[in-house]
Amino acid sequence: MSTEIAKTVDARGSFCPGPLMEIIKAMKTSTVGDVLEVWSNDQGSVKDIPEWINKVGHELVYTENAGDYWKIAIRKMK
Amino acid sequence: MESQQAPKMSIILISPDLEKLHAGSLVGSVAAAAGMTVSVFVTMGALKGFRKVNVEAKNFDHDELGQAMLEKNLPLFYNLLEDGKEVGDLQVYACAMAMDLMGWEKTEMLDILDDVIGITAFLNMSQGSQVIVM
Repeated sequence: MSTEIAKTVDARGSFCPGPLMEIIKAMKTSTVGDVLEVWSNDQGSVKDIPEWINKVGHELVYTENAGDYWKIAIRKMK
Repeated sequence: MESQQAPKMSIILISPDLEKLHAGSLVGSVAAAAGMTVSVFVTMGALKGFRKVNVEAKNFDHDELGQAMLEKNLPLFYNLLEDGKEVGDLQVYACAMAMDLMGWEKTEMLDILDDVIGITAFLNMSQGSQVIVM
């Protein structure tokens, strides 16, 4: 499967649970198999988003430290 | 998995404090995002925070954390509840007793309130759920 980013959600500046909500909304309009990347500088979201992915059954592709923010990539599995 | 009933969460908002309205709504929205069925019951002092007149004037009881939320223009409790509705199954109910006592109409309240109900109805829908009281 490709890890090409289908959609990027820039949630920098948004507090918990803003980045999570933004990525969920973006995923609703994506197709299964798509990889979405969310950018966040909220510390809580870096831990919370992978928890949510695990809970609802999507795939965490990577979390990457981009300096003053994080990039979290998710593959939509259902 | 499919045949499993979604776990339920009930949140009872009592306090008018912006921080408590926010904390309860935050838990509810994230629970809805995680697939739980969430019922929020708004009663007593918490109800005035859902009056349009107070929301428009940003007139909320708060401490220093709430002040920071207002100054930094954070999405507030009603935005979190809207998010919860958008991404999952979340309903918000106003307490009929408190509404009657104050003589408030549903039209004066935020549109995110799905219905005005009594505690008996709320107990029925929250049966077997986790309960959080704020």
